Amino acid sequence: MTTTIALMLLFPLAGAVFQAAFGSRLGRRASGLAAAAAVAGALAAALAAVSGLGVAPRHVGFGQWFAFDGLSVAFSVLYDRVAGLMAVMVTFVALLIHLYSTVYMRHDKAYARYFCYLNLFVFFMLVIALADDLVFLFMGWEGVGFCSFALIGFWHEKLANVDAGRKAFLMTRVGDLGYVAALALLVAAFGHASASELAARAGTLSPGMATAVALLFVFAAFGKSAQLPLSSWLPDAMAGPTPVSALIHAATMVTAGVYLLMRLEPLLAVAPAAGATASLVGAATALYGAVCALGQRDVKRILAYSTISQVGYMFLAAGCGDVSGAFFHLQAHAFFKSLLFMCAGIMIQACREEHDIFRMGRDLRRRMPGLFVLFACGAAALAALPPTSGYFSKGRTLADALAHPGPAFQIAFVLGVVAAFVTALYVFRMVFVAFFAEPDQPARPDHDPAIARMQRPLWPLAFLALVYGFANTPGFMHIKPFLDAYLAGTATPIPPEVEAAELFVASLDAFLALAGLGLAWALYRPARRPAAAADGWLTAGLGLDALYRRSLAGPYCRLAAFLWRGVDEDVLNGGVSAAAAGVSGLSAALRRLGSGRVSASLTALFGAAAAMLLWLALRLA
Amino acid sequence: MNVPLSHVLAVAALLFAIGGICATARRSIIMILVGVEFMLTAACIAFVGGALAWGNLDGQAAAIIVMGVAAAEAAVGLALLVHGRRGGGTAEADDYNRLGGRP
Repeated sequence: MTTTIALMLLFPLAGAVFQAAFGSRLGRRASGLAAAAAVAGALAAALAAVSGLGVAPRHVGFGQWFAFDGLSVAFSVLYDRVAGLMAVMVTFVALLIHLYSTVYMRHDKAYARYFCYLNLFVFFMLVIALADDLVFLFMGWEGVGFCSFALIGFWHEKLANVDAGRKAFLMTRVGDLGYVAALALLVAAFGHASASELAARAGTLSPGMATAVALLFVFAAFGKSAQLPLSSWLPDAMAGPTPVSALIHAATMVTAGVYLLMRLEPLLAVAPAAGATASLVGAATALYGAVCALGQRDVKRILAYSTISQVGYMFLAAGCGDVSGAFFHLQAHAFFKSLLFMCAGIMIQACREEHDIFRMGRDLRRRMPGLFVLFACGAAALAALPPTSGYFSKGRTLADALAHPGPAFQIAFVLGVVAAFVTALYVFRMVFVAFFAEPDQPARPDHDPAIARMQRPLWPLAFLALVYGFANTPGFMHIKPFLDAYLAGTATPIPPEVEAAELFVASLDAFLALAGLGLAWALYRPARRPAAAADGWLTAGLGLDALYRRSLAGPYCRLAAFLWRGVDEDVLNGGVSAAAAGVSGLSAALRRLGSGRVSASLTALFGAAAAMLLWLALRLA
Repeated sequence: MNVPLSHVLAVAALLFAIGGICATARRSIIMILVGVEFMLTAACIAFVGGALAWGNLDGQAAAIIVMGVAAAEAAVGLALLVHGRRGGGTAEADDYNRLGGRP
């Protein structure tokens, strides 16, 4: 077990080091294959590790990291069934995305850097999935943040991409402050911070302390998972290459916040306020993302807002304490959203870097029918059409909210239901506009056969997007829920109220999805020749960016300008310059005395003699 | 002796001050040398007055030494002036300012 876990972590790390050292010398094709092989090795190790895993979690240690003054940090791994499945999912999706990337990056000159960061990202993501010690987990947490930053700004010749990377980095750091503060509180209480320790001793914390720690962790999760109020970095993160968006900003990294809450579920159980906060904010974000997605024209930005929205549903379930429900939606989302993103990458390349769905249209569908089928599979799952994976997983999160007592959860349920309808609407708007409409100015097609080759790794994902829901069907269907059964004993079992609510929610959800589909057809069917609305509030994400720019960035910039121009240049530089000018003036005056003129020397001599005599005379008198 | 020592010293001091002002205020080397002669003479007067007041010949001996020094000083100073003029210089003291460096 120890060896397989070590191998799982070391494969992508070694791959990253290998890419950094030899990638550019190796040639494009070999470099991509080496990167994919490293991830394939990690996937094999993850499968081998999970195959014989029992219900009891396994603790594996790789030695101590550092220790001082009552704080000890170890490279420890808590390998339970949630972590095992998460590792398999991460490596599986990452493998497909690596294979896709080998074709997608076929013209890019910096392929070695790309694959190096991608492998490094997989390593850090696995650290998050496996780590027991929360400081060790934080290493992975920051590591994925760094890889995300580096890959968003991957095409760094354009300043806008670099800015998007910096924005993502800074905004997620704001959330990380919550993580660090929570770590500090935990270390002060226990001497070290680990997930298993927290699970065992969460009850011994005072209620106020538990709530504070849990709220801080929830805030950290909001930052990482682009939830309100820290959501606005994710749409800009689409500046990176599309496979990166699929891997980091859809399938894995943005769900790390949900995963953290799943790991800390025992803590949330003793801090109900934090759980309610996570649920309510998650549901509000689900609605926010869905509404904003309605106003976008860039296919990647639609998908980015939809990611924000779908991760909100995961928070809804995680806040209700339903680990397997949140995990179910996390996995289903990882499959269908990475599928959709990679389809979007193909669409963009097939239209010569055109992102606007209003310039794609039916030609694209006729040229690439396979792509349309793939995209439709992902879209159906995202819109939660029965019986796709998204239908079952999203229904489960809504049932959690409905079954949970308390007004916060009821509000969250209502928000989630409205968001579900809007989701279906924006998804089919995207499908109808991008694949059926006849645009006035269609993008020029690109007939490179390599583009069609990129569809190959997507078929497994399309299959999973359609059928993965049957891994965890609701109770009324009388099919054994495999995921719940597998996680029983690891996660808290679902309460009977949820099962009771599931039939109602499932019917409501199916109705909403079909209603959204119908409304989208009514509004955006090709016969109506849909045209893009002008950019407005929805396109700008309801003005969240402008609000931050005005209320936070603006005062900060003004303060910085004052400190720079006023304090630094005027006061500090001015003081130094004035001192230098004073010394220089004094030297000029002194220099005149030493000019070599006889009269000056004589005057000085007589003056000095007179002064001495005067002094002597005064002393004698 | 009819003249008191204080008067002699006052005359000497006045003469010394006149010589000092002449030496510092004038630009011409000749006039500076004249000012220096004035100051040496003032010192001589003070020495001679002291010798008379206390009946001691040491002061007169010092006066004779000062005369010798004055003669030597005038000779060397004028020789330097002639040398400087021959080398293309002037009689102005301020033109010989190479000790101050090139401004």
